[in-house]
Amino acid sequence: MTTARTNDADRQTHAQHYEVLRELGDCYTSVGNYDQAQRCYEKAASLGPDEPGPYVGLGVAAMQKDKLDDAEIAFRVACRLDPRCAKAHAGLAMIAQQRRDFPLAFDLYLKSLELDTDSIAALLGMFQVSCEMGSFAKIIYYLEVYLRMHPGDTSVMFALAALYLKDGQPDQSKTVLLDLLALEPTHRDAANLLEEVRHTLAGTA
Amino acid sequence: MTAPLVMPDSSNAPRDGRSARCHRVSAESAKRGPLVTVLLPTYNRRRCLAEALVSVLRQTYRDLEIFVVRDGGEEVSDIVRSFPDPRVVFIDRKDNRGKPFSLNEALARARGKYVAYLDDDDVYYPGHVRALVDALEGPTDCRAAYSDLYKTSCEAAPGQDRRVLSKHVEISRDFDRFLMLHFNHVLHVSLMHRRDLLDRTGLYNEQLNILIDWDITRRLSFFSDFHHVPAVTGEFYSPVGESDRISCRQRKDSQEYLRNLLAIRTTRPPKPWPKMKDLSIILLVDRPDERTVNVMLRIWRYTFYPYKLLIPLSAADIGRLNVQMPNVEFVPVNSLSSPAERVDAVLRRCEGDYVAIVAGNAAVEEMWVERPLYTLMHSTAREGFLLEGATPQSWAAVLRRTDLDQARRAHVHLPVEASLAAADIRVRRPKEEELPFQFDDLLLQAKLAEADGDWIAAARLFERMGERFGNQLWMKEMAARAYFEAGDHPRAGRLSGQVNLERPTVDTLLLEAKVCRRQQDFSTAIRLLTQAEQMLGPHVYSPAHPERNCCSI
Repeated sequence: MTTARTNDADRQTHAQHYEVLRELGDCYTSVGNYDQAQRCYEKAASLGPDEPGPYVGLGVAAMQKDKLDDAEIAFRVACRLDPRCAKAHAGLAMIAQQRRDFPLAFDLYLKSLELDTDSIAALLGMFQVSCEMGSFAKIIYYLEVYLRMHPGDTSVMFALAALYLKDGQPDQSKTVLLDLLALEPTHRDAANLLEEVRHTLAGTA
Repeated sequence: MTAPLVMPDSSNAPRDGRSARCHRVSAESAKRGPLVTVLLPTYNRRRCLAEALVSVLRQTYRDLEIFVVRDGGEEVSDIVRSFPDPRVVFIDRKDNRGKPFSLNEALARARGKYVAYLDDDDVYYPGHVRALVDALEGPTDCRAAYSDLYKTSCEAAPGQDRRVLSKHVEISRDFDRFLMLHFNHVLHVSLMHRRDLLDRTGLYNEQLNILIDWDITRRLSFFSDFHHVPAVTGEFYSPVGESDRISCRQRKDSQEYLRNLLAIRTTRPPKPWPKMKDLSIILLVDRPDERTVNVMLRIWRYTFYPYKLLIPLSAADIGRLNVQMPNVEFVPVNSLSSPAERVDAVLRRCEGDYVAIVAGNAAVEEMWVERPLYTLMHSTAREGFLLEGATPQSWAAVLRRTDLDQARRAHVHLPVEASLAAADIRVRRPKEEELPFQFDDLLLQAKLAEADGDWIAAARLFERMGERFGNQLWMKEMAARAYFEAGDHPRAGRLSGQVNLERPTVDTLLLEAKVCRRQQDFSTAIRLLTQAEQMLGPHVYSPAHPERNCCSI
């Protein structure tokens, strides 16, 4: 018989206060209260100085307040603390994108996606940057990979369909849009795009 | 305001001496409620003492007498004097005599109906004393009560504030007398008991230097049930890294630990014991030899249930057996007497409610007698239970003394085992489900399931345990956490919400908030997390900013 002496003998004792503040920061970010989010992330960072999470949060809050330099510093600290932090790379990519440095933004989104293939923010950011640069091959590949892993994600399906059309592949675009509308028949943008694809196909016939 | 009452060095003062200077009773105390004595011994923790004392002075329950006992070490009179409250009695002793001595020193002067305890690095929340007084003054026959406390992990550099890293409720178990004999599940700082219980238990054992609190709660459990108030009413600190607690350092000395442990386990407060049944162990040996001594020593080492060891021997053999151990009584018998006659001789003078009969070659190890004894205590049938390792050649069992007495009187010429059978008293082995500490065994199973990643199995076990064994808030919290990990967020949210309605803790608020956040209910999540953050907030004495410590008492 082993007498269970404590409720949490196996529990990390150090993480709790940090976790409360980080969660609170994330909630404030979600409701757009970036000042409170910043306060929470700063306290969390002091309690978990080796954790990248609060710095990512600080970066997001600073970006939302249009303080791109502050945001960049925060994301860079997060990257230094954890070079495999996908969110920090995505944050740096967003800053590059806002500064219209699209090639750099593309590379950073790519890095972020390599670290976290599930990152929808990186994927959609990469999509936007690709549209700005007019080069679609790489992003199409990543969207296809993503959809193989998340076959019902209609936002990515729509992006992929749009890219196929821009890349001169209306047949593939039509297939994806029909699948999308089967999943979400009221998707107005998809219906409109399908109309456009049909016109294109009719024009080329 | 009156200055705190300062006692001179009183280590040589008579224990029962109640100095007239100590007799300061608030004129209103009789009207408002019973007087509660709070004992606050201190040794070399100047930096924490003020915070501890402030937490007592801030109690919403006002009828207190507060003994601050300096047990040598650093000078603290300046700190105590900085709180000009007539309820504070300061015993300023320069030599270090240990915590039990300090507690006894204050208890000798205490006048409260109830006694509560606070260590110099811990704090009460303002409602602590009120919650326990209400529990004890309410409709209960318990004369002791306890609440839950946060274990607060913190880090602090010299001269800096303590920084709180986490607050967990580490122990929240309903009172269990059998468990109390094995493990102290009542934190001393959360304890309040009637002072007159100490007339029965005796004072603190000044020979102990660790497990002092368990010693007193164990002895209290002979005389009273304990009322569990499921509310977090204070904190005890746990510094990150090497603990400065004296008890922690001394626990590392295994010999010293064992000495203390055995001293506690063999303490038998004076009878009658209204809440504890006594156990007599009869050790039957033909001729005492080295093996007998070994068995006796193993009984001493491994038995945690209160017992008295009775050994029927011839006068010559008693003279030959040289063993120094407590709670042993030799019963003189004729050297030619049979085992049954020896048992009969012991029974004539044995006080135990239960009797274990053990052969001289018995296998004595952890729980050797407690397992069948527990089963017997919970049996309503007329039966006894074989001890582990009992064989037909080496028969060993535990029985109710009344049953054994009756069987022996009715069938005095039969061997013991045969007399029991003749008296229709069945002796059998306990079934697995009848053994003690079922709750702990299931808890271990649930923890193993968690470690294997089988969160659903763990959650269901926790829920079942709560239904069957009590400790409901604790089990609900554990189940909620397991369901969350399993991805069943609605159930995790429901369970943690139920706990938060009754006894919100940082952990349960955090868990419910995580569920709300995942359900996009950010406003509720923010409310819960803000509450959690407040709970984690500074409850600190700030040596760096002394002005912050001035409280409006």
